[in-house]
Amino acid sequence: MHPQLARLQATTRRTFLNGSALGLGAFALSGLEARGAEPSADKPLAPRKPHFAAKAKRVIYLHMSGAPPHLDIFDYKPELQKRDGQNCPDEYLKGKRFAFTSGVPKLLGTRQPFKQHGKSGVWMSDAIKPLHAVADDVTVIRSMRTDEFNHAPAELLLYTGFARQGRPSFGAWTCYGLGSESENLPGFVVLISNGVQPSGGQGCWGSGFLPSVFQGVQCRSKGEPVLYLSDPPGLDRDTRRMGLDALKDLNELQEKELGHPETRTRISQYELAFRMQMSATEVMDISREPQKVLDAYGAKPGAGTFANNCLLARRLIEQGVRYVQLFDWGWDFHGTNPNEDIRDGLTKKGTTTTQSVAALITDLKNRDLLKDTLVVWGGEFGRTPFREGRTAGSQVLGRDHYPDVFSLMVAGGGIKGGHTHGASDELGFKVAENEVHVHDLQATLQHCLGFDHTKLTYRFQGRDYRLTDVHGKVVKDILA
Amino acid sequence: MRFSALLALVSLGLAPAVRAQEKVDFNRDVRPILSNNCFQCHGPDEKTRKGKLRLDTAEGALAASVVPGKPDASELIARVIAPHDDAAAMPPAKSGKRLTAKEVDTLKAWIKDGAKYSAHWAYIKPVLPAVPQTRFATANAVDAFLFARLEKEGLKPQPEADRYALARRVALDLTGLPPTAAEVEAFVSDKTPNAYEKFVDKMLAKPAYGEHFARFWLDLARYADSAGYADDPLRTIWKYRDYVIESFNANKRFDAFTIEQLAGDLLSKPTLEQQIATAFHRNTMTNSEGGTNDEEFRNVAVVDRVNTTFLVWMGTSMACAQCHTHKYDPLTQLEYFRAFAFFNNTADADRSDESPTLAFWTDKQREQKADLEARVADLEALLKGRKPDEAKTEREALAGLKKQLAAIKPETSVPVMKELTGAQRRKTRLQYRGNFMDLGDEVREGVPAAFPPLEKKESLSRLDFAEWLVSKQNPLTARVIANRFWEQIFGTGIVRTSEEFGIQGELPSHPELLDWLAVTFQKDWDVKALLKTLVMSNAYRQTVKVTPELFERDPENRLLARGPRVRLTAEMVRDQALSAAGLLSPKMLGPSVRPQQPNLGVSAAFGGSIDWQTSAGEDKFRRGVYTQWRRSNPYPSMSTFDAPNRDTCVVRRARTNTPLQALVTMNDPVYIEAAQALARRTIAQGGKTTEERAAFALKACLVRPATDAEVSRLVKLYDDAKAKFTKDAAKAVQFATAPLGPLPKGVEAADVAAWTVVANVILNLDEMLLKR
Repeated sequence: MHPQLARLQATTRRTFLNGSALGLGAFALSGLEARGAEPSADKPLAPRKPHFAAKAKRVIYLHMSGAPPHLDIFDYKPELQKRDGQNCPDEYLKGKRFAFTSGVPKLLGTRQPFKQHGKSGVWMSDAIKPLHAVADDVTVIRSMRTDEFNHAPAELLLYTGFARQGRPSFGAWTCYGLGSESENLPGFVVLISNGVQPSGGQGCWGSGFLPSVFQGVQCRSKGEPVLYLSDPPGLDRDTRRMGLDALKDLNELQEKELGHPETRTRISQYELAFRMQMSATEVMDISREPQKVLDAYGAKPGAGTFANNCLLARRLIEQGVRYVQLFDWGWDFHGTNPNEDIRDGLTKKGTTTTQSVAALITDLKNRDLLKDTLVVWGGEFGRTPFREGRTAGSQVLGRDHYPDVFSLMVAGGGIKGGHTHGASDELGFKVAENEVHVHDLQATLQHCLGFDHTKLTYRFQGRDYRLTDVHGKVVKDILA
Repeated sequence: MRFSALLALVSLGLAPAVRAQEKVDFNRDVRPILSNNCFQCHGPDEKTRKGKLRLDTAEGALAASVVPGKPDASELIARVIAPHDDAAAMPPAKSGKRLTAKEVDTLKAWIKDGAKYSAHWAYIKPVLPAVPQTRFATANAVDAFLFARLEKEGLKPQPEADRYALARRVALDLTGLPPTAAEVEAFVSDKTPNAYEKFVDKMLAKPAYGEHFARFWLDLARYADSAGYADDPLRTIWKYRDYVIESFNANKRFDAFTIEQLAGDLLSKPTLEQQIATAFHRNTMTNSEGGTNDEEFRNVAVVDRVNTTFLVWMGTSMACAQCHTHKYDPLTQLEYFRAFAFFNNTADADRSDESPTLAFWTDKQREQKADLEARVADLEALLKGRKPDEAKTEREALAGLKKQLAAIKPETSVPVMKELTGAQRRKTRLQYRGNFMDLGDEVREGVPAAFPPLEKKESLSRLDFAEWLVSKQNPLTARVIANRFWEQIFGTGIVRTSEEFGIQGELPSHPELLDWLAVTFQKDWDVKALLKTLVMSNAYRQTVKVTPELFERDPENRLLARGPRVRLTAEMVRDQALSAAGLLSPKMLGPSVRPQQPNLGVSAAFGGSIDWQTSAGEDKFRRGVYTQWRRSNPYPSMSTFDAPNRDTCVVRRARTNTPLQALVTMNDPVYIEAAQALARRTIAQGGKTTEERAAFALKACLVRPATDAEVSRLVKLYDDAKAKFTKDAAKAVQFATAPLGPLPKGVEAADVAAWTVVANVILNLDEMLLKR
């Protein structure tokens, strides 16, 4: 073999196999090869270039667990209001399954006042009043579609491209593709409000078969922000440093004796952990924010609220975190209790939470961060244009799960402002124009981040996997 | 050829493709090129086949695109060398794939040679290969294969590791725990020639052996103490975990172990144990989220059973064929559902009560029940024929007895497989695109045609299938399983992709060695004998020391020109710390336990809190294999060390090295408690001087004498920490006692706190986390 070629191969091999020795597995290089590098073992989260120059550098994904009633928020259906209380036409029920509805349900028009907002005239209801002010900054997609009508599989499909556990999540793919800009914080942070995990569980932020460094790290706005972050009681920083110095010296003795490079990596991981103890504590402490910022978000230091998490999302991305995922519980508007009523219940939930969303979008814009930060707001599916079966006899108005059409809001990072994409039919049962399947959404978000979704792949059990499975097309119409 | 596969081969000196003097080998050189670049559209799946061209068979290739002996006349070559912008270029530009010049040369050389196809290596039954000669000293055939290869590569094996290193390595590999001080000293001072073998036998005989290998098997079995999905309720199935531990400890033949787990219920007069074994496939998830369709999720469970079975025993990614005919391997969708049919007739049906289950009663309960049942029978006999308004007292007594009887709840239970009979049996139909509501024709049980046939019978059962898996005719099972045990001991499989032996899997680094192991293992399916063969090899016993040159040459240690050195698993990391601290409980078996974990204040969706009450007494210090495994929230510190959530079968755990792991072993109260206990042990038993104590603490953890440099560094740390804590008594008390508890009489808080700092550092050493 030509000596130069041999050397070249040895070098490449080293980078590559070093990775595998640490469980970085077999990279499918079709996409990464072109970019000239794959995650290294020493710094798997080092920043990396995407396939092509892109507007978005990071993501804040706001998930409303349970699925918001889009017909009372974004998708205005006057015809449905007119026919409120009538039997649901048979054509929409034939061959369909619903989670909690059987027989013939009654059509349910919205009780929320709807108007067009902003210069662009995006339709929004009064349930989300605070968002009216940012109407010109967002795209509302009214033609979303998914394949699943139960929470867990629908959330997994949305975040991992597959309705069962085991595939990497969007955030993990993002960090795998781009690394992170932060040396001292995890690249992918998850924040949960109202104390309940989403139905899809940790699978929604898991790394699947990607190395676990790419998985989301759950941080908490209350108590210790990252598990085991704090030094144990009685141990101060100086003494910790003392211990780490000794640890380093002893590990170096070992490295010298045995010659294993992994020892060097471990030494650096301990130093990173030490730095993370400081920086994570700092970044998660929102009491450092001016009162007017706290007020704008509706945040209160020490609370575990969605408002705090929105503010934290901004603080985290400012520190270079690549992907922040929020989950807010309480959007499953079946109508089984007054909080789940599409009238006052929704107005209350919608107003409090979108105050923080609007504050986040405005804040990002003021800091010139919105242009390269993707912000997504939505649920895992939609809700039926008819009253949910179980609660039809009660005073509370609710809707069942609905996969065939729903709405979702996207902003920033190369997405058009003041734009509405797609439409449902007149009663809101089907996509009438420009369908966007969740795979298309994934392809589009990856496109915004600079990835050809068919090429960001990873080989597992002999197959090259990707977020969009074997589907997905980029929705060009919503790109700025 | 795929880049990474190419690299793997280069690094192993496997002569990638076209070394002029070497003949092109279809399986090694050609198939990977075709498979990676062509099969997706020109492979086994006729639905997605383009241009009616099929390149995975000789007939297909010869029909149109390959002219044997004449590369220049072959359309295949013309297409792959066509310029990128030519519409005829293959693979098509939009695939982003392109053959390298070298790959093209390989294809040309292969066609020139006659374009011979051969069956995929792993589908051909292994035969016992001749053991090669080598000039290096060998302990057994494993060495002969490995060292003959080293010779070819111009490498040589390393000398044997020192006895301390060897003792810790083999104890960790066979029992998951470090050896006791007494065991090590006995071994180190044993001058008899078979001292090491005696030590190995001792480790294999320890009950801890079964616990350790159970952990490995439970990943494959996707064992968990909860049912999964959104609300993830707890599930009682620990009897199965105990079955696995006891089976390994009894060194049950692997063929019997297989048959019991897959079809124990179908054996004639199955024992209790054989019925418990069938819980293997009751570890599938159950969805009790409101509004879900039980039949849908029963189907998901059956799919998981099919996929898991083929994955665990045959390293075959059957999952691909659920929705469409496999793109690479010769597995059709119809064949998928033939395999599905074997598993489609059990009584379980995604019910929240997990029925059918097997109940367990204590002897006392059994007596009580028998007694009550007898009395009920007596009364019923007495009341027979009496009118409803007569014998009121007796009737009341009877009702009371029945109530008592119903109140006796079993001690525990375990979900099991139970075959449906007669009219209850389900018909299996092909499911289009894997959709359980979109059904095709009825399908009967059978195995894929690419594998040896099942004996023809009127009707085939799960038992027939299980027996087929471990029959001598099956080309894969023995190889796949031997490779799994190899991976446990050496860190990386002979086939690195231990989950994939199909066409897209990597080729074995030592094919003859793998076959030798497989055929030898298959003889008696003796797991302990197989493991003993591996750890008795000189290759296993080498020192792990490595030069930069050697590391550069073989960073993954695939050639084994040095001893294996990989990170411990999550369970081992924790068990070892507790063991060094003297806290680890030896208690075996029984219900899962809840060691200390931080309260997260989070609930599962629609479910209860995922926080738990820490188990009392020694239960919080049990081995990791007994930790309650909640799928929605696996024990956080173990999950940080790459323990999976076990939603589905996990063949290979990752071995990452992250800052979050450092936070666990530095700060998790479990590890602080271990450091505190080790500090107290050190003061009580470690001798008088600081030097002696430092050496004691290090040896308690690393199972070897400390070096002078290590001792003096630890002494300095102790002195510095002691000075700090002496100035701050409150902190000293806090750090020395929370969470372990009040100090024993006569010890000084600052002293214990300083030793706790030292112990915490030792427990975090790189050497602690790796085999040495």
